[in-house]
Formats: sequence, structure tokens, C-alpha cells
Amino acid sequence: MSTPETTPDAAGQPAPSGDEALEWRRVHPVTPLVRGWAVVGAAVVILGQQSLEGGPRGGLIDLLTGDYWWTVLAALAAVALVGWGYSVLAWRMTTYAIGEEAVHLRRGILFRQQRHARLDRLQSVDIRQPLVARFFGLCELTLETAGGTDSGVAIGFLKGSDADALRAELLARAAGLKVARTSPSAPAAGTEGPPGPEGAPTSTAPEPAPVAVEAPQVPVLTVPVGRLIASVLRSGATIMLLLWALVVVVVMIATGEFAVLSASLPAVLGAGGYVFNRLTGEFDFRVAISPDGVRLRHGMLETRSQTIPPGRVQAVRLVQSVLWRGRDWWRVQVNVAGYGGDSEEKNSLLLPVGTRDEALTVLSLVLPDLGIEEPRRVLDAGLDGDSRAPSVFVTAPRRTRILDPVAWRRNGFAVTGRALLLRRGRLVKILDVVPHERTQSLGINQGPWQRRLGVASFQVHSTEGPVHPEAPHLDADDAARLMAEQARRARTARATAGPERWMERQGE
Amino acid sequence: MTSPFEPHDVTWNRVSPRLVTAMLVPAAIWLGVPAVVGVVLSLTLSPWFWILAGLPAALLLWSVLLIPRQVRAIGYAERDDDLLIRKGVLFRSLVVVPYGRMQYVDVEAGPLDRRLGLAKVQLHTASVGTDAVIPGLPPEEAARLRDRLASRGEARLAGL
Repeated sequence: MSTPETTPDAAGQPAPSGDEALEWRRVHPVTPLVRGWAVVGAAVVILGQQSLEGGPRGGLIDLLTGDYWWTVLAALAAVALVGWGYSVLAWRMTTYAIGEEAVHLRRGILFRQQRHARLDRLQSVDIRQPLVARFFGLCELTLETAGGTDSGVAIGFLKGSDADALRAELLARAAGLKVARTSPSAPAAGTEGPPGPEGAPTSTAPEPAPVAVEAPQVPVLTVPVGRLIASVLRSGATIMLLLWALVVVVVMIATGEFAVLSASLPAVLGAGGYVFNRLTGEFDFRVAISPDGVRLRHGMLETRSQTIPPGRVQAVRLVQSVLWRGRDWWRVQVNVAGYGGDSEEKNSLLLPVGTRDEALTVLSLVLPDLGIEEPRRVLDAGLDGDSRAPSVFVTAPRRTRILDPVAWRRNGFAVTGRALLLRRGRLVKILDVVPHERTQSLGINQGPWQRRLGVASFQVHSTEGPVHPEAPHLDADDAARLMAEQARRARTARATAGPERWMERQGE
Repeated sequence: MTSPFEPHDVTWNRVSPRLVTAMLVPAAIWLGVPAVVGVVLSLTLSPWFWILAGLPAALLLWSVLLIPRQVRAIGYAERDDDLLIRKGVLFRSLVVVPYGRMQYVDVEAGPLDRRLGLAKVQLHTASVGTDAVIPGLPPEEAARLRDRLASRGEARLAGL
């Protein structure tokens, strides 16, 4: 059982290429316990559903209250054992190593997978702590690369301090700083390994002298709990929930039927779940800045600590629904490559709710220089200005009011030295900011009505995420000119953009 | 007024007219079969089935009229630094893909395409929104375009 960590522990494992000797490490030995809970939780949920819907012979409730209640418990225990057994096997097979240029992860029981993520393509480093893991003080570290959905490398679970140290090391290496190896050549880890809990050198091995110091961070702002609750109360979901409750109560009083209540349960649960997720996910939201980029920390049950290095933000959206207008609150979302997909809602948020000043502060953290003289005036025009007020924004012509009677005055764009600003929407006001060097491709669309009016819609294609920058119904000439100039700007901006390794410029 | 779909410094390459056949055959199968079934049913069972026959038949007629125009509307152009693709008759679109943003290029050909001597080239950037597909290219042109795009992308290589 005390196999040296450095030898491949599965047959058919290719030796690590290159001449650097990788030190393979295991994740924390408590990991299977934490992961196994997911299986037990799923079993309990299925049982719950069965008992609600009425299983065989009068439902599980009868079974639970009858003589054979222990069979249910035994079944649950069996499921738990299988779940944990599988997790233990998976833990045995999961090893990771940090190389000079890349992170390596090996996992999988039947289908072995070896993933090799280049550090200079690193897009973000997140530390996630689910509720169960928190009891053990464990964290999961996720390193996102730009390979699309599920392209990241998740290393978990690790002890909190180890995760922090690993993040610091990864960021330092990705930044292009020369960092000493975390452990000095590790004299044959495991040769005289005691028969105790083998592996887990990360938690047991004494850390050598600090090799990569956590970059100092400066807190920028926190979102007060009261404001978060108020902002969720002023959201569409809450309004719908209240309206729905009102309708249900009215129908119940009118008909005297209580069946309406149970029939409306799924909808209420859905909306309630959304509100609950918003509240717990965005709870205690803190924004900080460090040389390694923007740091975000949030969550109540599951906490997330995100680090987005400089130049990784592909597009930013500032959005305000009509319900937030009275308070002038804004929400800031970002596109970061690798953040798209399932957890987009949780990841791609830079600020859940904030005043205009705070939102613009956060914007300036990720895009420090917009390349304009008076950024505030231009941004204000982008946030809630329209074509009646003179500004640098080129707006859609008056004839498009047939196509967009509500917001036609808002539709427009402004070009600055470093970014393209696209504004639209009146009930839901949106300002999208795309740095020129992050433009992927450009598109123009024109429907039959737009052709008659001589207008066209312009789009910037960004990476997967909540921000879809577009400027609807621009004058055809404006759209054509924007398309041509933007293609050129994207090209020249890319040539002068900062390096992928963000510290190299100052470091050398 | 200049049309945004006709940049002045661009000469468009057309795709092969054989693409009309390649698009009509599936349309004929998907719409023709229900139409024939509808005709048979209306003759044998009830005249109501003429509706079932008429709808696909009308759609098929529409496709026969539209597809040649659609194929003629597809154009692509290689500029020094980017590739332009336009398409659409009623709903027109134009996409500009800088070579440096290209992540990979796909060349695909289905059985019907191979038979007709056609291939489809698709460009992928880091954005899923990039809808840059050039259908109906002769295989040698597709290969040439692929190599050219790959080499140009390499020359302007950048991360994201």
C-alpha cells in the first residue's frame, strides 16, 4: 500500500514527458468522505420523491412507519457504502502535479484521464468550499483554461492552507515569476512510508520555506446583506412569486378548493429556489484587488473565492432592471473564458448589486484604462443616457422607433481608445464594454424590415458567458463603418496588448 | 447609401452551384415524403388529408424557389487579416473573423456532399457565437482554404 508517490500507480500510465521530474501528489484523504455525501444526498432525495408520490404498497411512509423501517435504513447504508467505496477508489486514482509550465491531473478508475493544463493559458483560479467540505476545513481548487465547458482542472479536496498556497504558486507561475519548486526534490517520498494513512503528502509533509507568497490584496468593497436582500426582493422572480401567491389565494377563496395549493407547488418551489440560490450564492460578496488580478469572495452555504488575473476579462456588462432604477443599483457581469456553462450564474458575476459608483469602480478594476479623457461622463451616457442628450455615443436613427418603440433612443455604441461600449435597453438598461483586443469576431445582421429602413444590427462575438454584446438597429452606414474599423482596431490592439504572463513586463 | 454587406475593398468568392442540389435533396426527402403520404391518404381515406399534403408541398415549392438564391447569396472573401463570410437573402448576415482569433478549422463532408464533390469549412474562435461556416466548397478549394487559414492563423498566433 505504501507505493512511492512518484511511480505511476496504474498500468498503462505514460511517463510524464519532458525532463522535469514531476512530484505527484494526492488530494486530502478525507476527500472520499466529502464526495460520498453527494451519493447519499441523491439517495435521500429519490426516497423523498418516492414517498411524496406514493411508492409501492401505499408509499414509503407506510414502510417507514411499519415493521420494516430498518430495511430503508439498511438500503440507505448500502448506498452510502457503495458511494464512499467508489469515492475511496477515485481518491486512490487521483493525483496531481505542478510542473514549471503546466498543471497535471490524473484521475478516473476505469477510464484513466490525464489532463495537462498550460499555466500561461490559465484564465482564473477559484477556491470553492461546499458546505460538507467546510466541516473538515477542506477546499477544492479549480483552474480554468480557455478550452470551453468542462475544460478546467479541479483539484480537490485540499486543506484550506494548502489550497491557498497552491493558488499562490499557480498564480505566481502563470504570472511569469520564477518560483522555486514547492518541495526541494522530496527525497523519495514514501520509501519508508509508515503503514498509516499513506499518501496525502500535501497535508503531512512539512512545507519548505515559503516559495510563492500570496500576493497582497486590497479590499475594495463589500455588498451589505441588507442591500442584497432588498435587491433580490426587487427582482422579477420575487414579483412573480408574489403575484402567483396572490392568484392562488384568490382562487382558493373563490373556489374553496385547496388543490390549487398543491398544484402550484412546483412553480413556487422553482421561483423560491431561484431566490434562495441568489441569496446564498451572492451572500457576503467581497471584491478586492491584488497584483494577481481581481479577487472575489462570496457565498453562504458554499463559499467561492475567485481570482481573475489581468487581461482575462473578455467582456463586461452593467445591467439595471427597471425595479432597481429608484436606487440606481447596478449588477456587473463578466465573460471569462472557461466560466461559461453550468455554473455561469455563480461564476460570472463581478458585483451582484451596487451603486453606480461601486459598479464603475469594479469596472475600472478589470478594465483600468478605457482610453478616454472623461470616462465618467461617457460611462454615465452609456448607463442611462439616450439620444436626446449629446454624447459620444452614435445612436440608432429615429426611423427605427417602429422596430424598437421603447428603447430606440438608447441603442447605440461608442468607441474609445481601448474598448467598445454598446448600450441598449430602457426597461432593462444594459451597457456592454468589450476591450478591443478581446474581440473574437464581428457580425452584422439585417432582416427584411431593417433593410427597408436602411439599418442593421451589429454584434461582437465574445467567449461563452452572460455578456452578448450587440448594438441593434444601427444606421447601415454606421454599422458598415463600425465593422470595418472595429476589425482593424481589434487587430492593432492585440498587437500591443499585455503579455499572457502578466508580471513579465515589470518582472524582467 | 452603402450596404454594410458590400465592403468596397472586397471581391466575393462564390460557392459551388452544386450546393443547390446538396440542399434540395434533403428538403425533397423531408418534405416530399409527407406530401406523398398526404396525397395517398387523401385519395384513400378522407379529403381532409389534402391539408397534410398541401403544407409540405407548399414548403417544398418555397424551398425550390429560395435555395438557389440562398446559394448565390453565400460569399466569402479572404482579406489580409481576416476572413469575411456573408449569407442570407431575406435575413442577411456578415461575419468577420480575424485570422489571429481562429482556434481551429473543421472540414466536413457528408455522404451526399462527397458524392457531389463538396465540402464544408467551419472556423471556430473562442466564441460560440461565431457562426462562420462556408458550405459547398469543392474539396480542393476547401483544402486550400484550410491550409491557408491555418498558416495565417499561425502567423498571427495569439492566446485569446
